[in-house]
Amino acid sequence: MKKLWHIRELSTVVILLLEILFFTWWLWPDGSRPHPFFNAGNFLLILKYSSIYGIAAVGAAIVIISGGIDLAPGAVMALAGVVAAQLFVVGGWPLGPAMAAGVLVGAASGLLTSVLVVLVRLPPFIATLGVMGITRGLAFIITEGQYFDVSSRLLGGWRPFGLPADWVAPIILIVLAVIFQILMTAFQWGRSVFAVGGNETAALFSGIAVPRVKTSVYVISGVLAAVSGVVLVLVQGQGKADLATGYELDIIASSVVGGASLAGGRGSVVGAVLGTLIFGVLRNALPQIPGATFYDRLIVGLVVIVIVVVDQLLLKKRG
Amino acid sequence: MPSTAGLQFRNVSRAFGAVRALRGVSFDVVEGEAHGLMGENGAGKSTLLKILAGIVQPDEGDIHWRGERLQLGSPREALERGIGMVYQEMLCFENLTVAGNIFAGREITRGGRLRHAEMRERTRALLDELHLPISPDAPAESLSTAYRQLLQVARALAFDCRILVLDEPTTSLTDAETDHLFAVLERLKARGTTLVYVSHRLPEVFRLCDRITVLRDGAHVETCSRRDVTPDHIVRSMVGRDLPPREARAAARDPRPALAVDGLGRRPCFTNISLTVNEGEIVALFGLVGSGRSELLETIFGLYRPEAGRIRVGGQEIAPVSPRAAVAAGITLVPEERQRQGLFFNLSVRHNLVLPDRTVRGGLLVRTASERRDAQALVEKWRIKTAGVEVPPDSLSGGNQQKIVVAKWLATAPKVILLDEPTKGVDVGAKFEIHEIIRREAARGAGCLVASSDLPEVLALADRIIVMREGAIQGQIGGADATEEAVMHLATHEGVA
Repeated sequence: MKKLWHIRELSTVVILLLEILFFTWWLWPDGSRPHPFFNAGNFLLILKYSSIYGIAAVGAAIVIISGGIDLAPGAVMALAGVVAAQLFVVGGWPLGPAMAAGVLVGAASGLLTSVLVVLVRLPPFIATLGVMGITRGLAFIITEGQYFDVSSRLLGGWRPFGLPADWVAPIILIVLAVIFQILMTAFQWGRSVFAVGGNETAALFSGIAVPRVKTSVYVISGVLAAVSGVVLVLVQGQGKADLATGYELDIIASSVVGGASLAGGRGSVVGAVLGTLIFGVLRNALPQIPGATFYDRLIVGLVVIVIVVVDQLLLKKRG
Repeated sequence: MPSTAGLQFRNVSRAFGAVRALRGVSFDVVEGEAHGLMGENGAGKSTLLKILAGIVQPDEGDIHWRGERLQLGSPREALERGIGMVYQEMLCFENLTVAGNIFAGREITRGGRLRHAEMRERTRALLDELHLPISPDAPAESLSTAYRQLLQVARALAFDCRILVLDEPTTSLTDAETDHLFAVLERLKARGTTLVYVSHRLPEVFRLCDRITVLRDGAHVETCSRRDVTPDHIVRSMVGRDLPPREARAAARDPRPALAVDGLGRRPCFTNISLTVNEGEIVALFGLVGSGRSELLETIFGLYRPEAGRIRVGGQEIAPVSPRAAVAAGITLVPEERQRQGLFFNLSVRHNLVLPDRTVRGGLLVRTASERRDAQALVEKWRIKTAGVEVPPDSLSGGNQQKIVVAKWLATAPKVILLDEPTKGVDVGAKFEIHEIIRREAARGAGCLVASSDLPEVLALADRIIVMREGAIQGQIGGADATEEAVMHLATHEGVA
């Protein structure tokens, strides 16, 4: 039996709750005005934007657990988004196939990364840095700096299966997070990912198909980044090449705050999703604090460091 | 025993979680003597050394040196108090020169700038003193294992160390290299340096040490003078029981080959290797370091592609293009560097134990309940001391970690078992257990090919001995006819038996 104390995700939940509690208190309005932070509409907004990061963070966490790193998610989001947007707006494709094409682009970029890592044997940091440049560059080449206005072709907004558009990203995230959490914990494939991240040589000696495992994690990361890119385009209503610039670092930070170790072998999908919520709340609440505008990046940076340091201290205490 | 001189351990205790690594250990090391510290894996030697090196602090008790209490809060403090360490796993900065290694972390500087010339001079003087024919400017990565070990001794001496602690320093050295190390240690002893020497190798301890302390299960058993005891006495004292004698094994009537290798070659490691291992047979592959043994085993296991030759398992030709394919064909390799090549420290003992077996079976799901049962059975079968199957392997002692690595590969019930130095760095008791395990696997019908440079082990274990030298087979000797001289002769001289 695992003690509650030993479940790493629990401390991330506690941090998230404390954070919400803090901002609720700090932003408490005067008199009878509605609370600017603690209300259903705002929470849906946080959920919607966090989910964009969250979908990609699921893939990033899996790569990090395998002992690698993926710097490309932001750029892959942009490329997948503009490909889907161009096919839909300029090419006149139906929405479904256009989205599928965007996701395929993500799979292709993941495959390229895995070729560089597995066959060319580049360090993942370098390989994905290169793929980041290539995919971002392709996005600019395709758009030639233009915007694709998706919203004007989506008359009356986007309502897949009759759902309100705001709910699409959170639902996709929840479905994917549940699937990959189960794959990582209850399936042999997931254990292979942990094994490769923990000790690659021992994994090879144990008969694990290390190249196949590595290929799978980068392709998954590419596909998930592409899914979040396509969803981002639909939610924002426009496809452009500088979409999701700099997201990769927030995505990696979310995974780490959620318990993933950059040394590999440790972390969880659920933790990464909770990590994106922690950042989502910060991004939402900080601009509402008067005078905090110039401080919000600094605060986000401090939060990453504090959470990871506290986690390491707790880890020592438990072990 | 005078109570104010030398190095004294007074009632030293230390626990890691529920494991009591040391329980009230007290003994004295007389100044200027060579003191052997012996015990099985898990006896508490490593913990005692770590306390002496300032890496861990005792929960209770203290250490005195020349009547003064030693407060060792960090490795740096230990160094400053004149305690030098030479570790089993060599700490060598391969990217630095010899001089850079000796002064790493304690460089001589003036105004913040490195004084390269002075460090080089002092290094040269030190190397001359130790009779080491290496240049201060040589890159450390160009040095042999033995010289790297001696470099650590030099590093300790560069800072006026009065107590030199050596933890299994000869594990990867050849006999000649060991002789060189011992010559250096004898000179240090003559100069008045106090030596604390930890080793599993009884002949070495008896050769060097004036007195011997034995630990068992974290407690002090005895401290005795070398002249008053026999090696057998020390073994009994370490193990706490008598070891049963080796049983003679009858050769199989009708040998069927489990593994047949024909004309296997991979330059520059080995060429034209042909050998067979029959079902139920233990074949030793003896050779000195660099003879190509490990490379041969790793090639059979599919880690490298051979340039020529064929491999057959049970008469079927196989192409081991990867360890995965080899494992599927019924071959397993228990690797030499067990921690680096064998264990997952991020996963529990259960995952570690069942991973190869479950990977070979190739199911989709992780079946926790059945895995827990299997892991528990393996823990009992192999007598692995652990707080349960769901704890990480770093909570276990070194010997028990090694048992996990051996057990996890044998859980797949392989037809051919390749073992690379299966008892390297293992104490007498665990060595005996591992030998028993290999015999049991052979009795089950597996063909065992054991690479070893431990001659007594080879003679005790093998039905047949194949000697390798410089990448080629020099000859074969039947187990019954083998003598140390015959095997060593083949391993070191040209000629065919």
